Amino acid sequence: MRIFWSFARQAFHNAAIYRFDYWLQLISVFLMMYSVHWIWTSLYSQHPAAFGVNVAQMVTYGILGMALEAIFNPGQGPQMYIATQLKTGGIDTDLAKPLDFHLHMLARNFGEILFRFGTLVLPSALIGGAFLGLQFPASPVAAGLFAVSLLLGYLVLFALNFLLGMLAVVTLDIRSISWAYNSLVRFFSGQMVPLWLFPGFLGALANVLPFRSIYAIPISIYIGKLNGSAALEALIFQSVWVIALFIVGRLAWNGVHTRLVVQGG
Amino acid sequence: MEELRIYVKLIRISMRSRLQYRADFITGIISVLVLNAVNLGLIGILVHRFTQLHGWTVWDLVFLYSMFVLSHSLYSLLFWHFNMMDTYIAQGTFDQFLIRPISPLIQFLGREIQYIGIGDIVVGVAAFGLAYSNKGLHWQAWQWLFFAVAILSGTVVEMSIRWIIASTAFWLGRSLSLANIMNRFNMLVQQYPIDLFGTWFQIVVTVIPISFLNYYPSLVLLGKTTDGAWLRFLPPIVAAVSISAAALVWRAGIRRYASSGS
Repeated sequence: MRIFWSFARQAFHNAAIYRFDYWLQLISVFLMMYSVHWIWTSLYSQHPAAFGVNVAQMVTYGILGMALEAIFNPGQGPQMYIATQLKTGGIDTDLAKPLDFHLHMLARNFGEILFRFGTLVLPSALIGGAFLGLQFPASPVAAGLFAVSLLLGYLVLFALNFLLGMLAVVTLDIRSISWAYNSLVRFFSGQMVPLWLFPGFLGALANVLPFRSIYAIPISIYIGKLNGSAALEALIFQSVWVIALFIVGRLAWNGVHTRLVVQGG
Repeated sequence: MEELRIYVKLIRISMRSRLQYRADFITGIISVLVLNAVNLGLIGILVHRFTQLHGWTVWDLVFLYSMFVLSHSLYSLLFWHFNMMDTYIAQGTFDQFLIRPISPLIQFLGREIQYIGIGDIVVGVAAFGLAYSNKGLHWQAWQWLFFAVAILSGTVVEMSIRWIIASTAFWLGRSLSLANIMNRFNMLVQQYPIDLFGTWFQIVVTVIPISFLNYYPSLVLLGKTTDGAWLRFLPPIVAAVSISAAALVWRAGIRRYASSGS
């Protein structure tokens, strides 16, 4: 745990240098929460019964989707760090550290995420609650399950990002692939549009892919759309993906690691 | 004219260096297609449930989207690297431009070309074609002319906005966060009719005239407004004002930057 805190502290130092940037980021989150609020309110005024939940729940869903982007943005994962380190050659020093690389990436990223959660997600949620109709969790139980689900969702995203980072070791440039990847995550994670609105085949596909662990499951639990045994099943779904993806990431790292050493030597 | 010749030459060089990376070219184009498919897919799913959004049907929205992408495609092909301005400054690349006897702007603009813009053109043309035929439009000559002028004006408008944001790097050192906020505005204006978001939003994206890429021209072309007569002349005027403002900000920025360095 100490490693996480030291990386969180480092993220704080980096961010403190660019305070103006911080305010701009907060404004940008507010802008998105504001617009999502309008989209759902407008859609509900036309067809109040078309969405399976009431308007307050849906607005909460949308606003939370935007507030959580500060920690669930796939563009800020370890893959970007890995790609930069590969380009600058700094990856050498990372490998020389007496710290398992996989764990190192997790610690570094999770430290930043903790920092971003405190400085961006919480303030945005407060603003959303005060001005835009973000509600409290559906119940105390929902709040607890939401917290667990959020952590699992983060781990799924981290593991996926790490795999993309492994791809960076092979292809050296992942900039354009990341665009496609980021938009697929955005689509199948249910950030903008809840997955239960997806039609037939797309809905079925979204249900088996790991991406819904990221926004859809935690937020659905929060608003009470997923509760009871369905919520528990969703948590198991997330856990299974976390384990599977970490194992795959491990294997990929082992494969790529030797290749990297050969390349360098 | 001499400067234009140099610019074309620089762009040719950039193009050739870009095409060295063929795999990157292909993944780049595919990524743009995926990105746009996702955007349109999300709108489609939203509007699938009921026939319209704030008075706009699915094909109205696709039309709105396509106009934005078409304007944006030319901008992203030639001027996208305005977003990278702060990196140019931080890495000292921009300082090299200042010591050569050619306008730094020409050197900066000629430095890169983003083939990603080609993907945008493909998406824009396809989306426009679909919207045009599905809406059963039959335009007369003036409408096609207005369409072409609006697209080009839109390119100039977006380029000017990005140019101003890039210039702020001369004062602030960083311009990326401002560019990111602009990306958000872009995304919203591209996908939704701006009056959906209330008066304040509409004022903001009219003052920062990004809505002239698609919203106002679409009002005219889709016959959604009764006072379209004067709107027809507005896009090129807005473009001219924007680019003049951007040139002034840039000049002030360069002057400041050059003097603080010595």
